[in-house]
Amino acid sequence: MASTLISTPITNSDRARDSSRRKKKKKIQAKQDHHQQQEAQSHTKWKSEAQQQLYSSKLLQALSQVSINPPNTANTNTNPSSSSPPRRGRAVREAADRVLAVAAKGRTRWSRAILTSRLKIKFRQHKRQRSAAASSGTGSTRPRKPKFSVYRLKGKGLPAVQKKVRVLGRLVPGCRKQPLPVILEEATDYIAALEMQVRAMSRLAQLLSGSTSGAAGST
Amino acid sequence: MNRALPEMLNCMNAPGTFLAGNSTDMTVLERQRARMKWHQHEHNDPIQLHQQQQGYNFSGNELSGVFPVPIPAGQAQGFMGLVCGDSEVKPDPCSENRWAELGYGSCGLVVNNNGAAGFEEMINGHNNNGNISRTFSCPPTVAAEKKSNDAVLSQKISSPAGKESFKKRKADKVQSNKAVAAEDDSTEKRMKGCAEEGDSKITEQTSNKNNTNNDRESSGDTSKDNSKASEVQKPDYIHVRARRGQATDSHSLAERVSRTRGVSDFYKSLSLLLQIILFNCLCQCLIVIIQVRREKISERMKYLQDLVPGCNKITGKAGMLDEIINYVQSLQRQVEFLSMKLAAVNPRLDFNIDDLFAKEMFPACAANFQTIGMTSEMTNSAYVQFNPVQQMVSSCGLDMGINSSDLALRRTISAPVSIPETFLDTSCFTQAPPTAIWDADLQNLFNVEFQQGRTTPFQSQPFTGSIEASNLKMEM
Repeated sequence: MASTLISTPITNSDRARDSSRRKKKKKIQAKQDHHQQQEAQSHTKWKSEAQQQLYSSKLLQALSQVSINPPNTANTNTNPSSSSPPRRGRAVREAADRVLAVAAKGRTRWSRAILTSRLKIKFRQHKRQRSAAASSGTGSTRPRKPKFSVYRLKGKGLPAVQKKVRVLGRLVPGCRKQPLPVILEEATDYIAALEMQVRAMSRLAQLLSGSTSGAAGST
Repeated sequence: MNRALPEMLNCMNAPGTFLAGNSTDMTVLERQRARMKWHQHEHNDPIQLHQQQQGYNFSGNELSGVFPVPIPAGQAQGFMGLVCGDSEVKPDPCSENRWAELGYGSCGLVVNNNGAAGFEEMINGHNNNGNISRTFSCPPTVAAEKKSNDAVLSQKISSPAGKESFKKRKADKVQSNKAVAAEDDSTEKRMKGCAEEGDSKITEQTSNKNNTNNDRESSGDTSKDNSKASEVQKPDYIHVRARRGQATDSHSLAERVSRTRGVSDFYKSLSLLLQIILFNCLCQCLIVIIQVRREKISERMKYLQDLVPGCNKITGKAGMLDEIINYVQSLQRQVEFLSMKLAAVNPRLDFNIDDLFAKEMFPACAANFQTIGMTSEMTNSAYVQFNPVQQMVSSCGLDMGINSSDLALRRTISAPVSIPETFLDTSCFTQAPPTAIWDADLQNLFNVEFQQGRTTPFQSQPFTGSIEASNLKMEM
């Protein structure tokens, strides 16, 4: 459908320009077709039962390895009951997100962003430790540059839409400064993946809670 | 070309009182007055205008006559229509009149309702004539009028070759650009904007050029006469009269005009035209880019509409974006809630397997007995999980049978929690020997593809068995 929309304006233009533009349009069409295929594939991919099973298995794997203790204190603290539920919950959530990103096979921006975010956090922690050890004098961090929002009345239209686009960009991991079409594409895949995640986790929680309640009842 | 004339004239003939103004007999002044009348009249009645335009009769006498180069305010209308493929094209009868006077004897007016198509045809038609260059002037006032979108009308003026085109080459370039520019109705506004801007630029320059000519009251001193051509000092006209026997083809005319006006002017106008061409190119590229981008966005919004429930009724970017944001936030909250629930259900998740395993290898594993026991249960369930995954059997990988084994484990493991430490030592020691026995099983487990870190749970599998055995022994 998109291809026809593109091709109709060309019919009336000059031939000399036509050839160059046709090449451009062909590329764009090819990209779009690829995109469509990708999106269609991603939709079906996330909805398939096999994907969900795969995800749940990997999730259990990850959950078993979850450690709420920060990496620095992991070796010292081995008390199992010291962790507070929020920390555990967050750890579980992070593990779940990581597993989801792995299931996405790194084809999407948000999956790559999730996978690299932990590395970034660790890197920042290491950096801070080093910097703190090296220089104790300069405690204050560099003041962040104030972010100016340039109101463009044209381009993306009203600032309201622009604000919403930014909010959505912040919600989807790894899409903060991306243009709208990219954000929309990422959001499509992310929503499908989140739905699958919710389904898998709810089933898992149900089963495990069911089993524990059963165990408690039987004993 | 003259052969085409009568045909065109025949088809174009229609009653019109204004046609009389086309004869060379009329003086230019009279013609102008007629034009003004026509102009006013047409402003009042665009429909009439439409019809009357079709009735234009171009006299063949123009061939040998005057080739005025009009740059009137009224002509800007026609030009705007030409350039913009405008929806509201009210071709000025004055302008058409002038076209006629320019010698477009065989000009046919084909009023085309399709802006884009008509535009192209017009451009093709113009390839023969080169007289677009002079008509680029567009006073801002007229340009402002053009902003409203009405029914599409565009002119097609085809002229025979051999009319005056002293800037034929430039005109051709411009025409080709114009042809490319007029592609889509949706781009009309932008085209208008571009053309108007271009026009306003040119107006200044051309007005400067024609300042001397534009003096309505003064008679002409400005023309640089030479023996061959003379300029009639009329406002907005550059008349190049051709004498008998002289060639009237475009090339010679161009030569004459360039000689009269001076080469510098020629180059100035040439540079102007190039600027216009560049500007048009830019506009076209922008238009294409924006079109493509818009299509991408709309396509993706449609996908999202399918995904997000309850978005079928909402149209428009803002509402859709709101819905999408809400949905993503709700999904994320659900994940958060479920993860908390999972964490609560499985309080043994907060242990690092690597640490545990390292400690298990050493005899001094007393403190970790609890952890071993508890984690082994989890790993057992995890291990059990993998079989169904490999076989792709059950819906969620946890059968009730597996759960029962888990329950058994839990029961046995919960008991040892209260065991005094003396027992722990013995149990730790009992774990050591069975490791060798379980190596064979581990080999099988390793065959399954898992991440490196994940293989450790399997190694604890033998411990579960041993623990269970030892616990059972203890209980019994």
